[in-house]
Formats: sequence, C-alpha cells, structure tokens
Amino acid sequence: MTEGKRIVCRCEDITYEEVVAAIEEGYTTLEEIKRALRCGMGTCQGRTCSRIITGIIARMKKIPPNEIKQITKRPPLRPIPIKALIGEKDGENR
Amino acid sequence: MERTADVIIIGGGAIGLSTAYHLTKRKVKTIVIEKNYLTSGSTGRCIGGVRQQYATPTTIKIAMESVDFFKCAEEELGLDVEWYAGGYLFLAFTEDEEKTFKKAIEIQQRNGLDVSFISADECFKIVPMMYAPGLRGGAYCPSDGQADPFKVCYGFAKRIRENGGRIISSSEVVEIRTKGNKVHSVITNNGEEFFADVVVNAAGPWAKDLCRLVGLDVPIEPERHEAMITERVARLWDPMLVDYRPDGSYFYQRVTGQIIGCYTPDPNVPGIRTDSSLEFFFEMPRRMSNLVPALSQVSVLRHWAGCYSMTPDGSPIVDETEIEGFFIAGGMCGHGFMFSPAIGEHLANYIVEKDWGLPWDEFKLTREFKGKEALR
Repeated sequence: MTEGKRIVCRCEDITYEEVVAAIEEGYTTLEEIKRALRCGMGTCQGRTCSRIITGIIARMKKIPPNEIKQITKRPPLRPIPIKALIGEKDGENR
Repeated sequence: MERTADVIIIGGGAIGLSTAYHLTKRKVKTIVIEKNYLTSGSTGRCIGGVRQQYATPTTIKIAMESVDFFKCAEEELGLDVEWYAGGYLFLAFTEDEEKTFKKAIEIQQRNGLDVSFISADECFKIVPMMYAPGLRGGAYCPSDGQADPFKVCYGFAKRIRENGGRIISSSEVVEIRTKGNKVHSVITNNGEEFFADVVVNAAGPWAKDLCRLVGLDVPIEPERHEAMITERVARLWDPMLVDYRPDGSYFYQRVTGQIIGCYTPDPNVPGIRTDSSLEFFFEMPRRMSNLVPALSQVSVLRHWAGCYSMTPDGSPIVDETEIEGFFIAGGMCGHGFMFSPAIGEHLANYIVEKDWGLPWDEFKLTREFKGKEALR
C-alpha cells in the first residue's frame, strides 16, 4: 500500500499515519481521536474505524484492546432519512 | 513536576483554553486543569455557530472581536479552524419579532456591525429553498459565520504548550484553598496540589459547583440543549437560519456539508444532563424540514445533548469574585464558543493589567441581573 494512503476511516478519509500522529500528540483515547480527526463522526458512526483505531492505540500504548474505552454510541444506530422520521411517503408533495 | 504557576485555569473548554492561550502569549505561567479531556464539556457539544447579532454594546463588541480572531485563526493557531462567513439570518414572522430585531440592529449598527433588516424577498434570494409563508423579513449579518470548536480548542492547546503552558487532563479540582481572603491553591482528585495567586473558574456547567467549594453562590444554572447533525450534502444555502416561532429551530450547513442544528426546549430542562430525548429526535427533523422542505431527503446521522449555562439576564459572568484572585468566566448562556477568543483576551488582559479594555458592567458578577438579552 502507498505510504500515507492507508485509510483507517473511510467516511472522513483519515489515514493510519494521521491516527498515529494524533496519538503521538497526546490524543490517546477514542473520544479524543474522534474529536481531533472526526473518525466516528461520519456516515458509519465509527462502526468501521473504531476497531481499527482501538488496535492502533492498543499497540502503541501496549494495553489490551478490551481495556480501551469505546466511544459513546449516539442515536440513531444508522442514518435515517428525515422523510422517514416525519412520516412523509415517497412522491408525496409538500 | 512544576506545581506552581501565575494562573491556574479550571476547565479545558473554549473559554479556559482561550484565556490560557492569551495568558501564555503574554508570558504568564499558566496551568489548565481539565477533569475529563479537552472539549469534553459544553464546547465539544456546541454546534459551532458564530454570530455578532446581540442587543447590548459590550456583548456585540466581544462577538465582533471574536469574529476578527476566527478570521485569522489559521494564522494565529497554525491550523484551519473551518471558519466560514455564511452569515446569520434571524427570521421575523411577527410584528414583535420585527421590532425586536430592528431595535437590536440600531445598536449593532452603532457599534459598527454590517447588519440590516432585509425584506422577505431578499431572504428568499439568500435561501431560495426556504418555505416560510408569512415571513416579514429578516435580520441579516453576512459576516457572522461558523467554525469548528474542536479545531479551535486544539489550536489553542497546541499554542499553550508551545508557549510553555501546561495542560493537565483527567484531573478534577475537588478543593480550592484560600489564605485570608486570597486564593492560594487547588487540589485535584488525584491528591495533587497546584499553587497560584490567580485561579480562573472556567468550568462551564460545573462553574456553580466549583464556586460552592469556596462558599460563593453564583447565579448560573445549567440546562440541557440537544442537537442533531445530518450526513454531508452539496451546498444548499449559506446562513444560519434562526426561527423563533414556537415550533422553530436554528440550523445551518457546515462548510463540510452537514446540516447541524438545535431548538430551545420549552419548558427548559434544568440540570447537568447530556442524555438525548426521543422527543427531540422526531421534533427537530420536523421543524427543520418545515422551514426547508428539501431536507426531508437528507439523513440524520447523530443526535446528542450538552449544557447551556444560563444566567438570569442571559449575559455571561466574567469577573473577579469577592475572593481575591478567584475569577469566574462562566454563565455563557450557550455562547461560550463564539465569545471565547475575545473573552479570553480581555480576561487575560485584566489579570495582567487590571484593565478590562471595554465597558464591563454587562459581565460583572455584582450587576443586578435585570432584563434579558433580547436575541437569546
């Protein structure tokens, strides 16, 4: 793979190198990395990147992955179109 | 490890970090103590709107100076803080709203703000996809805008460290010691003691509890506000739309494409609460898509809550308390992030030179707390 192009977070285009740099800068928890790099704030809400980043923190900090606190899960579980939330049907005129 | 400083700041949000940034810039030895991680309180939960449309002179000045800072923040802080001057458009649907806005505009214009009351037609020109029957016009300031609270705070933090300041996270101040009537030191939950002649309480919703540690009662009451963000979409419109109708809301499109917004719950939800309600989850999309029907095609990504720290008159408290050296910078009423650059600068100035640099009565702890900020 090309150096600097290993994507960890597909929603926000964040690379492995960027995550490592953030951890080196002192953003060592998932919540902090989420805020510094937006990993976990995109369409997948961290379902893809959280595990990978947990692994990176675990290796760099030498702590077991299961001891790394996961980010707060926020509603909704998956993206929901507003038209579904307001009860609008397809093709309905507003 | 150094435990003595000139100033200790309690709270790693926008206000505390900005104050520390401006202090360390003036070579003042500063320690920031944050109980969780930076931006973990109210700052990291705010939606990032930055406006200058207020109703009282000092607040307007503070907001205008803050915008000046955001404009050149990239240079000052060395990173792109996603500043974008998309403007703020306050929509007037009633005669009363129109009067309130026009009265505020007079004061704002007198203070040099580029704001005006525009016709409904002009509003629709700026936001063509808006559906707003009965709209009378709007208060529009094109130089209002948006920035990313995380980037601004991490930028402050980076500079604080470069300037020799210290930031201590995961440490909660549990005791504040005084000697005579002067502040002396603070003790954290790890049992560490830090000494300084000046301590700034910038603890946001926890500011009242911190004041109680030294027997002070300040009129700051936290309440829950919820927010929502959608997926990224192509640019739809520029300004923050503020709709004060009973089922109104306020929302805007981030420079990165997401629609983000809130509404103020009625009645309010008091307390330090960050749980999210099912009511908001259905109500916010309804209110947003009422005003901008095309939003029904967009998906909601995330919904969360944070605290506004309210004062009785809707203005912040930034002042030295009756305990010498113990300052409070709190009660920001939901405007802490957007005020932070200028509040931090003036507070740093006061700590160093005993001069607020602006008429400060609006923010004094000893004021009467009468009246109410008209543009809440």
